[in-house]
Amino acid sequence: MVYYLIICRSLTYAQRTAAVLERVGITAHILRAPRAIAGEGCSHGVRISPRRLAEALTVLGRAGLTPRRVFLLAGDGSYQEVRL
Amino acid sequence: MIYFDSAATTLQKPAAVAQAGVRAIRTCASPGRGGHRPAMLAADVAYRCRELAGALLGVSEPERVVFTMNATHGLNIAIQSLVKPGDVVVTSGWEHNAVTRPLHALGAQVRVAAGPMFDQTAALAAFDALLTPETACAVCTQCSNVFGMVLPVAGVARLCRERGIPLIVDAAQSAGVLSVDLDAWGADYVAMPGHKGLYGPQGTGLLLCGRNAAPRPILQGGTGSASMDQDMPRFLPDALEAGTHNITGVAGLLEGLRYVVRKGPDAILNHERKLLALAHSGLSQMPGVEVFAASAPEDQAGVLSFRVHGMDCEEVGQWLGDHGVAVRAGLHCAPQAHASGGTLDTGTVRLSFSAFNTLGEVERFLDLAERMCRRK
Repeated sequence: MVYYLIICRSLTYAQRTAAVLERVGITAHILRAPRAIAGEGCSHGVRISPRRLAEALTVLGRAGLTPRRVFLLAGDGSYQEVRL
Repeated sequence: MIYFDSAATTLQKPAAVAQAGVRAIRTCASPGRGGHRPAMLAADVAYRCRELAGALLGVSEPERVVFTMNATHGLNIAIQSLVKPGDVVVTSGWEHNAVTRPLHALGAQVRVAAGPMFDQTAALAAFDALLTPETACAVCTQCSNVFGMVLPVAGVARLCRERGIPLIVDAAQSAGVLSVDLDAWGADYVAMPGHKGLYGPQGTGLLLCGRNAAPRPILQGGTGSASMDQDMPRFLPDALEAGTHNITGVAGLLEGLRYVVRKGPDAILNHERKLLALAHSGLSQMPGVEVFAASAPEDQAGVLSFRVHGMDCEEVGQWLGDHGVAVRAGLHCAPQAHASGGTLDTGTVRLSFSAFNTLGEVERFLDLAERMCRRK
């Protein structure tokens, strides 16, 4: 399954990010970020559907929660960073 | 037992507090330390607690609500973040040792904004006179733990904002009862226990951090974030939350907060003021009893001190304890407040109320107090 992962600097930011998205009806799950993309080690991310990325970024921007980095993750474990 | 020692800790808690603690100890792991269900459940409890505390206490971002062990822990972080040795710090004359001892340990030059008891206008004028460009920081309790005197924190906050002076508020006796609004005050830090007016378990506290606060951790360690970096994270709440959280306590605190929100701080305050007024009225009619009460109700909250001529305050406390009334006697860890109130030599006996006390309990206490005074 392909999904976007919004990387957050802390668990609390990830929770706030997920709460803001859920409030507007965008399903958001908090995950530990894969080691390969958790730059500084141990970070959390928010998983959203590929169809909702643009909307999610708009909502987060409005809430002052502009993501640091976003990755596209594929079902085979490969990933690529999305240019924001 | 009639429990009138809620300024130390509220003994009677909503039933949901203990239930949540039990549930958490069985189901919650450590927030941020795994992606498994027990860890995420713990994370959810912590986040809900931050969010609700923020909504109640005027903090718009949940990450600026930091979990501490108690108010003293939060005050130590705040003071050590803002005060360097030799700095000039202005405090009220009613501070607890949780403020005065850290300042003393740092070697701060403390200037006391002194004024008469229950006189908010004089207290504000004293701050106005002392808050000068050389002031590094101001610290003000919102409510004296000895006399229940309400301090004009909103006014002090305004003065601090106008003069660019950082402000720390000790809300140990006021959170859950008086209005606490970090963002409106523009304070740098507001510290409070979770186990008094917020009805959480002992071992919980909150430190609210202002938008521009740059706290210095007093504890370093794992945070479940940015693990490659050997410096503590600079972002909140991780910067101040090294080590495993007291998640059972946080789960209980969340239920305590829900209780306060449901009941409403104003309703709790009004209830406690009724109890206080009855106790004041009864005690002041007893010969040889001196009661410290404000003439205007808005100048006092939840705490009433008294002393009995010819009896040591500890003797009074012991007698009442032996007869089923829990009160606190002595200096209440606040010698500065007793010095300001003129009771340093004798101490006082303190009654402090909660939402769970009743007028009937105050009446029973007054009957006992009368008996005690007759026998002396």
